[in-house]
Amino acid sequence: MRSLAPILLAALIYTGLTLVVSNSYYQLMLTLVLVWASFGLSWNILSGYTGLISFGHAAFFGLGAYTTALGQIYFDLTPWLLIPIAAAIGAVSGLLVGFPTFRLRGHYFALAMLAYPLAMLYVFEWLGYQELTLPIKREAPFAYMQFSDPRLYTLVALGLLLGIVLITRAVERSRFGMALLAIKQNEAAAEAAGINTLAWKLRSIVLSGAIAGAVGAFYAVVLLVVTPSSVFGMLVSAQALTVAMFGGVGTLWGPLIGAAALIPVGEILNAELSARLPGIQGVIYGIAIIVVILVAPEGIFWTLRDRMKRSARATAGILPDLTAPATSPAPNAPASIVRLQRITSREVLLSVRGLSKSFGGLKAVQDVNFDVHHGTILGIIGPNGAGKTTLFNLLNGFLPPSSGEVMLDGRNMIGCKPHVLCRAGVGRTFQIMRPFARMSVRDNVRVGAYVQAASEQEAHRLAADAVNRVGLSQVADRVAAELTTKQLRLMEIARALAGKPRLLLLDETLAGLGHGEVDEVTAVVQRLAREGITIAIIEHTMLSMVRLVDRFLVLDHGAVLADGEPQHITRDQRVIEAYLGKKWVAYAQT
Amino acid sequence: MTSQIVEDVLQALVAGLLSGAIYGLMCVGLGLIFGVMRVINFAQGDFMMLGMYAAYYLFLAAGIQGIFGNVIGPYVAILLSGPLLFLFGYGIHRLLVSRVTGQRTAGLEGEGHFAQLILTLGVALVLQNGGLILFGSVLASIRTPLSSSAWEIGPLWSDSISIFINKSRGIAALISILAMTALAMLITRTRMGKALRASADNPVAATYMGIDIDRSYRIAFGLGAAVTAVAGGLLATNYPFHPYIGTDYVIVMYAGVVLGGMGSIIGAFWGGMTIGLVQQLATLVLPTQLQNAAIFVVFLLIVFFRPQGFFGRVVERT
Amino acid sequence: MLRLEGICAGYSVLPVLKDVSLRIERGQFVAIVGPNGAGKTTLFKTISGILRPSAGSIHFEGVDLLGVPASRRPHLGIAHVPEGRQVFPSLSVTENLEMGAFTEAGRRAWKDNIDHIFSLLPVLAERRHQFAGTLSGGEQQMLAIGRGLASAPKFLMLDEPSMGLAPAIADFIFEKLIEIRARTQLTILLVEQRVAEALESADHGYVLEAGRVVLEGNKEALRADDRVRRAYLGM
Repeated sequence: MRSLAPILLAALIYTGLTLVVSNSYYQLMLTLVLVWASFGLSWNILSGYTGLISFGHAAFFGLGAYTTALGQIYFDLTPWLLIPIAAAIGAVSGLLVGFPTFRLRGHYFALAMLAYPLAMLYVFEWLGYQELTLPIKREAPFAYMQFSDPRLYTLVALGLLLGIVLITRAVERSRFGMALLAIKQNEAAAEAAGINTLAWKLRSIVLSGAIAGAVGAFYAVVLLVVTPSSVFGMLVSAQALTVAMFGGVGTLWGPLIGAAALIPVGEILNAELSARLPGIQGVIYGIAIIVVILVAPEGIFWTLRDRMKRSARATAGILPDLTAPATSPAPNAPASIVRLQRITSREVLLSVRGLSKSFGGLKAVQDVNFDVHHGTILGIIGPNGAGKTTLFNLLNGFLPPSSGEVMLDGRNMIGCKPHVLCRAGVGRTFQIMRPFARMSVRDNVRVGAYVQAASEQEAHRLAADAVNRVGLSQVADRVAAELTTKQLRLMEIARALAGKPRLLLLDETLAGLGHGEVDEVTAVVQRLAREGITIAIIEHTMLSMVRLVDRFLVLDHGAVLADGEPQHITRDQRVIEAYLGKKWVAYAQT
Repeated sequence: MTSQIVEDVLQALVAGLLSGAIYGLMCVGLGLIFGVMRVINFAQGDFMMLGMYAAYYLFLAAGIQGIFGNVIGPYVAILLSGPLLFLFGYGIHRLLVSRVTGQRTAGLEGEGHFAQLILTLGVALVLQNGGLILFGSVLASIRTPLSSSAWEIGPLWSDSISIFINKSRGIAALISILAMTALAMLITRTRMGKALRASADNPVAATYMGIDIDRSYRIAFGLGAAVTAVAGGLLATNYPFHPYIGTDYVIVMYAGVVLGGMGSIIGAFWGGMTIGLVQQLATLVLPTQLQNAAIFVVFLLIVFFRPQGFFGRVVERT
Repeated sequence: MLRLEGICAGYSVLPVLKDVSLRIERGQFVAIVGPNGAGKTTLFKTISGILRPSAGSIHFEGVDLLGVPASRRPHLGIAHVPEGRQVFPSLSVTENLEMGAFTEAGRRAWKDNIDHIFSLLPVLAERRHQFAGTLSGGEQQMLAIGRGLASAPKFLMLDEPSMGLAPAIADFIFEKLIEIRARTQLTILLVEQRVAEALESADHGYVLEAGRVVLEGNKEALRADDRVRRAYLGM
């Protein structure tokens, strides 16, 4: 957790630099560095944290710039007022843009975002605003933000930047930032963890648009001339992107470093060489983007930090300890796997009736019926392609069923989105884990806590509790990149636990683990069931399942083949036939 | 009065078909790259720009004008620029794009393909601005005497309706269609073309067959660059150009490809054709500056309401 | 002909194969059976070259395969019929087969080969101009097998050909495999979940469980062994 000290120190140094520099060109450059850093931060809030790359932030920037220009020319308003108005306009545009565009996937999103500012460029040209000059106000220069000393612009820009930095910092440390990062990491898993992804994405673009609008408005004041291509053009969007990506994606420092590095280079080259080599600025930015993507795709900040951490660990002789058991002995855990007698209630927690799902002509799930009682462990097995994961996706809200009901505590949950189901008490882990590699175990788990936690403190508490319950307290502060597969699996379970689920859906939690590790994880799952959580688990490793579950549900070709206790299921003719083939059963009988 | 409107509409339709043919070829270039490799190439417009300048310099400075004269010369230069841009595209893929296809930059996971987007954005910036340095900002064009004469169709029906087809534009459209046909033959009949389609359909299975998909991708990229470059050259015989012209056409190309159905090469041609028609018909009702904005609006509408496009078979990648 | 030794392979966070060794002699029909998640497809991907093993070696006719990239391996005579068919949906049946014959050997033998394939799998002849994406599951499986044969291989690998097919169609596919074996004397490696079908015509079988070979032997030995059932069902 960084304190404000480095930021304030940097601001102080920058102020000193500003006061010292006397050449008016360099003074302008100092201001521009701050402007582009601010713009980069606004881009970061949407694209850096969520991973939804926007090529169209110039739309908000340009609207802000035109707000100042038009507002001052036609309504004689002062920029001190117009900048907040531009922020509001940016926010509203963000909402208008985000609502339809977030429905688009992948490249369509990027292309649509590209189209907005370019379209606006043509519209503003058509409106006749090819070149707007801000009127000079000699009577009240200060009131209209027209300073005779260019250094004052720099100081105002610094103030603006500090404000944005504070906002970004607040976002980064709160559930806002965590939600965005979770969305970037794995949007499906974020939904399943209770995060309303659409709502958070909208909040992110609204904030991002507001900041971009404000920055654009200030930019107009600094340059005093606004043309459509200078504020809506592709280079503008590209600059926001380049500055953030070069410096570091998804971090406060990224755009600051990027702007400090690239803007001076670009501007100086432009000043020195643009007579002979017009467009040299664009070439430099282009090369910068290419180099960054190829060499340090996450930006300078992360690359340097990772390198420093690795060398620090090497010099201190600390290497990730993969051999020593890093799970603390869980409270009251028996050493061996013995079928534990659990006090299970007769009550049914989950009831599935007539559940079916077809994709075109393919019946993935056919008329599935089963009940899961409180505090029991249900194992869902079946040959490849039997529909197990589809079933989970139906229970979890990711897929709408073609027909049937899913009753949780008597309430039909069909049609609810995954994050709503999570709030209702359904937790889930996924086959492919994608943790936040650079964050600690505790922070990773905290993402799952926000669905139930009302405050940051409560989220921290729930996370710490979940970490303890799975037995990871000894490594709670280690970064996820250093964990073994078994520890990662336990962390996944902890993340789902932090949301206080009543039903836990585990998707192939034991895959890839060695024998001893399987036992450890199985012990954790059994303990959770004893504590009252109902569990449904999909698995392939039969040996451990057989000792873990209370009941098996066997699926084949999407339909329920058998439903019963392990010792009966494993000798059931139909089950053997499904797994090993009809002829096997025939031979077994001869 | 009505005959004037009819004449205007017919003229706009004809103009739309003519420019649509060239747009179609342009879009096919992008469609090849996107269809085969699922790469979004921001620099496609700049490949087109390079094609225009390549044809220009070949014509004026490399002696083509001397050998072939003013009428045939430009077209020879344009066709020669194709192989040049093929090599250029092939090289760009080999050096740069291949390093980010199939990989993901870890910090930008989630939606995928963004490394390609950003890389090609960088290439676009370098090409545009480098072009500005190399070629200057003065408008250039490839003049042919054909551009000032036209065929007249008519008078039709009543005495006052005549349609004029500018000879230069007519020939450009014709060459576009021929080029398109040649490309279609290449893709459907030759072994290499089938290997490209196989790589697009199912890259893993293609590898199992012994097809070097990296090489397929490079060829597709080069071919896409060449095709769009030739289309650009044809465009240049009728309109002036400058190093930044690529940006103007990027959205046209993407609109055409999306309209046609991403993944369908034939669809891209029809998509481009449609965009050409829309643009020319828009001149009847909209002021000039808003025409391009109209294309954007069409593009956004397609992306929102029918992202799978209208033409061609869009096959889901296995 | 094919020798694997000490192969360890997996995906970034998931180790799958642990120290797998097996041998296939020329002309043999070898089956690998085992439950899901045992690593059968991972094994295939390692032999094909799609996946690089973290340890161990693979030799094909004496050639060290680890130095050969995936797209070159078919040219050595290895044909791969992948899991889930993986046909080229927008190419016709004939074009799919043409893609199978992409190798040198395949192209040389094309004229004769295509006749043999069509006589062996007549339904492909009937639909030779149809787009592969519109074929049924069973027809696609036959196309995938035909495609493998079109490369005139020395070694044919099939990954779970029965998966996703109705039992009757799966039986038909297995009968075809027996016919191919009889006609061509190819060396065949079959990976299957259905043990009895797989062992039907196999000379030798390996049972894979949790990434290790737990059992091997000829078909009589394996059929009688209850450990096979336990490998699948746990008890």
